[in-house]
Amino acid sequence: MRATLMSPLMRGMGLMLRVRRRLRPDAPARCPEVARVLQSYLDGEVDARTLRLVSAHLEDCRRCGLEVETYTALKQALHRVGDPPAEPVERLRTFAAQLATGDIPDQS
Amino acid sequence: MRDPARTGPRGSEAVFQEQVVPEIDVLYRVALSITRSHADAEDLVQDTLLRAYRAIDRFDGRHPRAWLLTILRNAQVNRTRRRRPDLLHDPDEVTRRAATTEDTRAQPEEAVMAGVLDEHLGAALDALPVKFRQVVDLIDVSELSYHEAADVLGVPIGTVMSRLSRARKRLRDHLAREGILPRRRM
Repeated sequence: MRATLMSPLMRGMGLMLRVRRRLRPDAPARCPEVARVLQSYLDGEVDARTLRLVSAHLEDCRRCGLEVETYTALKQALHRVGDPPAEPVERLRTFAAQLATGDIPDQS
Repeated sequence: MRDPARTGPRGSEAVFQEQVVPEIDVLYRVALSITRSHADAEDLVQDTLLRAYRAIDRFDGRHPRAWLLTILRNAQVNRTRRRRPDLLHDPDEVTRRAATTEDTRAQPEEAVMAGVLDEHLGAALDALPVKFRQVVDLIDVSELSYHEAADVLGVPIGTVMSRLSRARKRLRDHLAREGILPRRRM
């Protein structure tokens, strides 16, 4: 799975990368190729081979490593935003329990 | 996995408790990202739970989250048909829940960084167009997979990936302008 590209230039570059990857499936990944799959990599949405290639690249490339650190920090911050408030979730749990015990009449 | 022979009031109750109730947190977050309002999110999840309970005998016991998200999405489609469709954005709700800043001087560097990030993230999120905001809410906040988010939004998975990538870059650029994250280099 691949990130959608924005411009014709980027699309051309993407095509070159794909051709290179087809010809040499196990060639080390380069920075532009890593940049294209970086978001999917962070989300655990890449296949095993891509995972291996990106991980190997990150061991040696400080710039891409910094990108990973930056987006990981952003992702973690976004997740902290989302702690669901306790009260509505608790009310919904109570509602579910009442449904399951038949305390709420089916209005269908 | 359900035993069809056990289908009936008792079996349904057990399936509901074991498969549906543990997903309430996720359902609420997803509902919040779609409705952008706590009151509407609660109504939507309640509606979803009711529909799930009525349909529990037809549930095959596999992938409860995917099943529930489909119900939630259908419930939301029905609700928006009945109401005006332009009430998507209530930025105050999420901003209000972003971590508040306290005196962070005594904390380790990472925690300070996280605190500063949290403090500015609300404004960066509010600046996102709703379509971008939704994918961030579904994938980063609610931790849905790309596939699940695509199902909830009713768009192809490639659209989810594209919006997500652009949304994160916008957030990062916004925070970079304020000197909180390093600038983009590619």
